[in-house]
Parts: sequence; structure tokens; C-alpha cells
Amino acid sequence: MELLSNLGLGLSVALGWQNLIYCFVGCFLGTLVGVLPGIGPVATVAMLLPFTFGLGPTPALIMLAGIYYGAQYGGSTTAILVNIPGESSSVVTTLDGHQMARQGRAGPALGIAAIGSFAAGCIATLVIALFAPPLAELALKFSPAEYFSLMVFGLVAAIVLARGSLIKALAMVCLGLLLGMIGTDVNSGVIRFAFGQPELADGLGFVAIAMAFFGMADVVMNLEQPGQSGVYTSHIGRVLPTLDDLKTSFWSIVRGTALGSILGILPGGGALLASFAAYMFEKKVAKHPRRFGEGDIRGVAAPESANNAGAQTSFIPMLTLGIPSNPTMALMIGAMMIQGIAPGPQVMTDRPELFWGLIASMWLGNLMLLVLNLPLVGLWVRLLKVPYRLLFPSIFVFCCIGVYTVDTKIFDVYELAALTAVGYLLIKLDCEPAPLILGFVLGPLMEENLRRAMMIAQGDASVFFSRPISAGFLIAAVLLMAAIAAPTLRAKREEVLQE
Amino acid sequence: MRIRSPKDFWSGLCFIAIAVAFMALATRYRFGTAEKMGPGFFPIMVGILQAGLGAILLGRSFVLDGPPVERGRLPPLAITVVAVVLFGLALDWLGLAAAIAVLVVVGAYADRSARLVESLALAVALVFFSVVMFVWILGLPLRVWPDWWT
Repeated sequence: MELLSNLGLGLSVALGWQNLIYCFVGCFLGTLVGVLPGIGPVATVAMLLPFTFGLGPTPALIMLAGIYYGAQYGGSTTAILVNIPGESSSVVTTLDGHQMARQGRAGPALGIAAIGSFAAGCIATLVIALFAPPLAELALKFSPAEYFSLMVFGLVAAIVLARGSLIKALAMVCLGLLLGMIGTDVNSGVIRFAFGQPELADGLGFVAIAMAFFGMADVVMNLEQPGQSGVYTSHIGRVLPTLDDLKTSFWSIVRGTALGSILGILPGGGALLASFAAYMFEKKVAKHPRRFGEGDIRGVAAPESANNAGAQTSFIPMLTLGIPSNPTMALMIGAMMIQGIAPGPQVMTDRPELFWGLIASMWLGNLMLLVLNLPLVGLWVRLLKVPYRLLFPSIFVFCCIGVYTVDTKIFDVYELAALTAVGYLLIKLDCEPAPLILGFVLGPLMEENLRRAMMIAQGDASVFFSRPISAGFLIAAVLLMAAIAAPTLRAKREEVLQE
Repeated sequence: MRIRSPKDFWSGLCFIAIAVAFMALATRYRFGTAEKMGPGFFPIMVGILQAGLGAILLGRSFVLDGPPVERGRLPPLAITVVAVVLFGLALDWLGLAAAIAVLVVVGAYADRSARLVESLALAVALVFFSVVMFVWILGLPLRVWPDWWT
């Protein structure tokens, strides 16, 4: 019954008119920017971050969460209508979704995506409510050694899904860790790697890194290779799927939700893995798998439900352990720290109104997306026609204002300029920025926990293996690495990520 | 020896160079012992790991075949970086309105199809939107006009 009272508390917070408005604004803005071609959810959340600076922590996080799943939803719209996935997790949606649109069934495709996402969102909210409290309770008992090992595991798991070379991904994590050490060392007070610049004493700006790598550098890459314009489908048709469509996709939605909820909890899981896995699974269990890829509605329903469920449950490790499982969650952690909240298991006990309010708002937000987006599809379609040459200078403006307003420091703007060049270079060399961001966020925490663990153990490193939970995490990390390095699995992973 | 995978070669080199630079700087900080780690301990450990990974990439680039680094075009990157720096300078001296205008008008040339009239119009629209949204509605601490103006 504690669950009900917790959810009740959450609802009472989320239903406050102020939070309701921010949730709505977040969903709306998120969809708006997410629909624009070439802007993924990470860039969306980063660019819209300054909109939340003036708010308190609870409305700010509610709004950011709304932006996140709004952007995710917007990404599916572009995937279906234009065949350009707004983000990696809607790549699979293009397979059948765009085929449906070509057959004049864009409406039902969008409709089933919205309905599937809503259903998945409702269930994932319950999953969070059920699993987060025990996990947080367990995490409260973690000593520094367990925390350190958990972070190692989290980072290793997160790079499993980075595209391209594993070694590069690992090296990017290290680079992120190193960049995270710039600034004042909390233990000794020594200012490290700052080149005598007082502005660097607080470290590199997290927002600057996120915007440079996921916003600005992406724009530069797009400008270099112009001419990727998709086929627009202006005819949408009836948005509501027929009863037959609903019957066909019911079990796909259920399966997608289940898979998504589970995979979202794993570090490195989240929306991307969820949508791919759900599509593959659906193809396996279907009676006529040949129809997949030719506009099968189940091929839209399953991955869309899965990516929404996964997006939502990926909040669990973020909220309970303070560990980001993907770059968006890293941004959320950054936003929490800007608001003066240290992420971790204590958030739930110290600030129940924030925790439960956020969870309840996710459910409300999904409802809003459903009622908001189906009638507004026409508007989103028109947004797709905004030419990129008008779009990208606007992205520049939002990134620059956003970076400056975090701390009102001009220096951060120059930092953005420099990091854009670095990000561009890294992307050119096929080094994915996502692992770097995760390393950057976790770096200071990892160092602190390592130091404390070693201090408690009096310099004996075996502490990481003698404590069962810590050893478990490390063994899991090693197994995971071995599994990916194994040739057969490696081929499979590449095949999945390629498709 | 022939470089067979240029992307691995250059990224490996970058990782090693950055790791060495960080480790060189970190030698100035106290290293400490395993029990009482100084501020230099963790950076050097991570640096060694990163340099090692970089070395694997470097070595691999002579053995495994890989795609070439696509030729980039300098203008988009250079113009973008310059536009952002100009935004910073203008924001410092002239306030938000001028900064946005400079960023949009200069930045637009990162794309070949930029047209001056169009980007001027876009600049006006974005200045208007940003002032209304960020300054009036959200109340963020941004100076819109230069000091001598008001």
C-alpha cells in the first residue's frame, strides 16, 4: 500500500497547476524541436535546458522529462513521414513506418505509435514505482567499493551499444574521465589541469560539452554533406487506427513494453537497444515474418512501445543510483546538479515530492502527448518543411544562449567554440561522443569512491573483490567485455546495429 | 609499414597525445599512495589506460584495413567556430541583440546556400524571439543592449 500512497503523493505534486503547465510546455517544446529533422533528443534537451533555469528543481525536472519523451515522440514522427530517424532509437520505426506512409497509411502508423507509446508509458511508470524504492534502499547500503564497481560496470555496459569500435569507445570513456578531472579536486582542493585559468577552476561546463558534441558538431557534419532531403509524405489520412489494426498490434505492444521495460533498466540499455530488440523479437514470433519491412503495423507498434518504455525505465538507474545509462540521462544528472541536488539513492528519501512527482508527471505527460499530438500532426508535418539553412543558425543561437546562461560566464561560450572543433574531429575519426559524456559525468564520482574505498581498505585493492556485490559488478563487467569481444557475438552486434 | 586504417591511426595518435599531456601535467600534483591517493593518482591511472588503448588502435591500424578519413571541408567548421567566438565577444561588449545578429549572419555562411537578406530577416526574428522568451518571460540575466545605449 506504500506504493499507492507514494503514487498519490506524486500525483498531488504533478497535478498542481504549475507543474501541469510545465509538463505540458515540456512535452510541447520537446515534440516541436524533436520533429525538426537532424536534431536528436540529447541536443533537444541540451538546447532547452535554459528554459528550466528559473524554475525550482521539481518543475524543472518535470519539464525536462517532458522534453525528453516529447522529443522521442517527435523523432518517430519524422521517421514515419520522412524516413529520417530523428534519433537512433527510431531507426527501426522507419523500416515499416515509412512503408506504411508510402502506402497512404501514415495516419494509422502515427496513431499506433502514439497509442503504443502511451500504453508503454503507463506500464513503465508502474515499473519505476515498483522497482525504484527497493533498488534505492539497496543502494543506500553500498559502500564506496560497491559504488566504484557499479560505475565500472555501468560504463562498460553503456559502451556495448556505442556504434563502431569497442576500443575507441573505451578510450572515449577515459577521455571523458580525464576531462572530468579538470577543475578543483574535492579531496585536496588542488586545481588540476586549469592552465592558470580561474574560469576552469569549476571544471569544464557539462552543458558546453553536451551542446558542442551533440548540437554544434552535428550541425557542422550536416553542413559538410548537404543534400540529405527525404521524401515528404503530405497525405496523412485518418489518424485513428482501425479496430483491426489495434487487434493486430495489441500483443506487439504488450511484448514491446515488456522488453523495453526490462532493457531500459540495464545501464546502456535505454531506448535504442529496446527498440531494436523488440523489432527482432516481433519478427521471430510473427506468423508471416516476410511482411515485416513492407509496412507491417506490428513493426511500428512493437519498437515504438519498447523505446518509450525503455526511455522511461532508464530513469531508474539515474534516479536511484545516480548512474546515467545514456547521454540524455547524463544531461538529467547535469540538470539536477545545476539545481543543487546531488543525484543518488538519497533523492528518494530526502525529496520524495521531487521523485514521485516526476514519476507521476511521466504518466500525465504521456497522456498529454497522446491527446496533443494526434490532432496536431498536421502542424508537425509543416515543421518538417523548414529548410535547414534557417534551422541551423537557430540551433547556434539556442546553444550559445544556453551555454552562457548556465553560469552567465562569457568564457563558457569560447569553451563551446573550442569543444565544437574537438567534437567535429572526434566524430570525423568515428569516435562516438556518448561514452565520453558518460565518463565525464561519472569521472569525479568514480575518483572519489575509489579514493574512499582504498582509504577504508588501507590501500588493499582486494576490497573490490572480497565484497560480494562489488565483485559481482566487476565480474559482470568483465563477462560483458568478453562477450562483446567474442567473434560470434561481435558479428551479431554489428549486424543489429547496422540494420 | 603502411597505414591500413587511417581513422584508427589518427584517433590512436590523438588518444596517446592527450593521455601523455594529461599525465605530464599530473606529475606536478602529489601522487600519494594507494591508501591515501593524491590528486595526481587517478589522472595518471586513467592516462595509462587511455594511452594503452590508443597504442592498440595505433598498432591495429597497420594490420587491419579500415575506411579512409573522409575529406572534410574547412569552411563549415571554421565559420561556425568564428561565429560562436564573435557571439561571445559581442555579448560582452554590445549585449545580446547584437550578439545574436552577428552569430546568425556570420554563422549562416557555414552553409553555401546562405543569402544575406534571408539571414538578416532570420536574425531579426531570433533577436525578437530570444528577448521575449529568455529576457522577458524567463527573466534570465542577459543584457540586451550595450551599456552606453541605455
